[in-house]
Amino acid sequence: MADVSLKKVGKTYENASANTIEELNLDIRSGEFVVLVGPSGCGKSTTLRMIAGLEELSDGQIWIGDRRVDELEPRERDIAMVFQNYALYPHMTVAQNMSFGLRLSGMDKAEIRRRVEEAAKVLDISALLERRPKQLSGGQRQRVAMGRAMVRDPAVFLFDEPLSNLDAKLRGQMRAEIRRLHKRLKATTIYVTHDQVEAMTLADRVVVLNKGKIEQQGTPEELYERPATRFVAGFIGSPTMNLLAADVVAESESVSLKIGEVSITVPAERAGALAAHAGSTIEIGVRPEHFLADGAADFSAAVDMSELLGPTKLIHFTLAGVTCSAMLPPELAVREGERQSLRIALDRISIFDPQTGNAL
Amino acid sequence: MKTHPLRRGLFVTLVIALILCCFLAPYAWIVSSSFKNRLTLFDDVTPLSWKAFFPVGATTDNYQTLFERTNVLTALLNTAIVSGGQVALTLLLCAMAAYSLTRIRFPGAKIVFVLILLTFLLPIEAMMVPLYQVVSGLGLSNTLLGVMIPWVASPFGLFLLKQAFEELPVELEDAARIDGAGHVRVFFSIVLPNVKVPMLTLGLITFLFSWNSFLWPLVIVQDPANQVIQVAIAQQGSPTQLPNWGETFAGATVATLPLILLFLLLQKYFTQGMTTSGIKG
Repeated sequence: MADVSLKKVGKTYENASANTIEELNLDIRSGEFVVLVGPSGCGKSTTLRMIAGLEELSDGQIWIGDRRVDELEPRERDIAMVFQNYALYPHMTVAQNMSFGLRLSGMDKAEIRRRVEEAAKVLDISALLERRPKQLSGGQRQRVAMGRAMVRDPAVFLFDEPLSNLDAKLRGQMRAEIRRLHKRLKATTIYVTHDQVEAMTLADRVVVLNKGKIEQQGTPEELYERPATRFVAGFIGSPTMNLLAADVVAESESVSLKIGEVSITVPAERAGALAAHAGSTIEIGVRPEHFLADGAADFSAAVDMSELLGPTKLIHFTLAGVTCSAMLPPELAVREGERQSLRIALDRISIFDPQTGNAL
Repeated sequence: MKTHPLRRGLFVTLVIALILCCFLAPYAWIVSSSFKNRLTLFDDVTPLSWKAFFPVGATTDNYQTLFERTNVLTALLNTAIVSGGQVALTLLLCAMAAYSLTRIRFPGAKIVFVLILLTFLLPIEAMMVPLYQVVSGLGLSNTLLGVMIPWVASPFGLFLLKQAFEELPVELEDAARIDGAGHVRVFFSIVLPNVKVPMLTLGLITFLFSWNSFLWPLVIVQDPANQVIQVAIAQQGSPTQLPNWGETFAGATVATLPLILLFLLLQKYFTQGMTTSGIKG
């Protein structure tokens, strides 16, 4: 286990018009599970590959523990990596795949066997040790890839979208497995994904990247409850947060939000913060579960579509010209085309500056 | 009206059989003639009779004279050394060149690749004189190394292996680097074992090319002790006399036997090579 520190790390490609990564500063504590998340092209995989030593830095430094590693070869960094396509050596058996790195390090054969067998037992792949990768299922291959990383007992584990090639059910199982493994090994882990569900369920800390910069970092709860920017608000959460333009109207003793034709009086405890923006237009973010159908209605909207998802019912409607979604109790009788009365839980909304996209 | 599938199948089989006969007939005639008496060799050719392809009253006289009077065994050994050496050097050189052109980014890589491929378009005959000058200059004329050396840097091999390396996921090499392998280890322990089929294909095609080559060995080697089989067969007998066709055919049969055996053993790699590269060897 070791701390990982990225200091003003930058990456520029020759043919790129802009920097892929710009002055990235990130400190990861020993034993922490950090997930780098963001859309395609945001620089998350490049960051991981720079930590691994597979990509050169254009600027900055990377430290693992008390060693500066950015000029060291990957093998000298004391890391292990699990790849998206598993990257198992096709010509080797599972046991040979797992022991390849140990054999190269000149480790004693008995110790290699002990480590391979122990990792295989933990990952429940003991029966597969003599098989070749092509004889394994996707899930089994993923376990072998994890086993190959585990046996080396590295200071840092790196995962590059390891579950994206698996089907939804297996992805859920493997997610739990990775979490269980991290709790057991307590190793510093950096995990890259574009799937925000993975990020939310696995991470001690989520780092949201956008266009090569850190947009926000924090616990999954912090990111979900208090997104720092409109981008994070839209990226974290599924279905995504509903973003609506609202005029702040201050009256003699109250403050109200005017969303299209709908006017909603803000409760006293939230009115103070909003009063500062009176007369201007802000953007409010409402999570789908913060539209409530509990009788006290702020507005009613025609239901465009209703989807029963099992534990919840998702309805889609249009408010002030914006297509919104609301998560309602499954037993609620809602039919497409009918109007549904809804209330916004104003104490839970996020507020953004429509120009900068930053939280107000 | 639709043709009955059985009838269509029969027709296709007949057409294939006819094409096969056209390809096999010359070789069958050579083999058959190698077992015939030199005086009756051409008796059944004009007019063509089935006897041309079947040695009636077969004799091994041609083979006996061939092995007793000519250096065919030495020539076979020389050819095996040249072909084996050429295969080994071609595989090593082409694999390393193709790998660096695929994986190492450097300015002008594409131009280098195109220039190498352009040499593919030059006919062997056009390169004979400069090649002779270079190889002689190196002091390699009249040697087996001189026979093989100009062909080991094969543009076809480079092209075939470059295709194979491009299909190999780069993550395999990344994983190996993280596992602690250096560039050389990655190349020999991870990359090469995973392009076994294209390597084998290139090896076979190179072997075929080298075994059958005639013009260059004829030009570069004058010493009979270093002759390869194709030249030895063509040069058996005296230059002032007509060739002994019976011995020539026996020699041709002996020369093709190793190739036929090799083809029977590894034919899937031959065909794979031809289809994946889209280039005839």
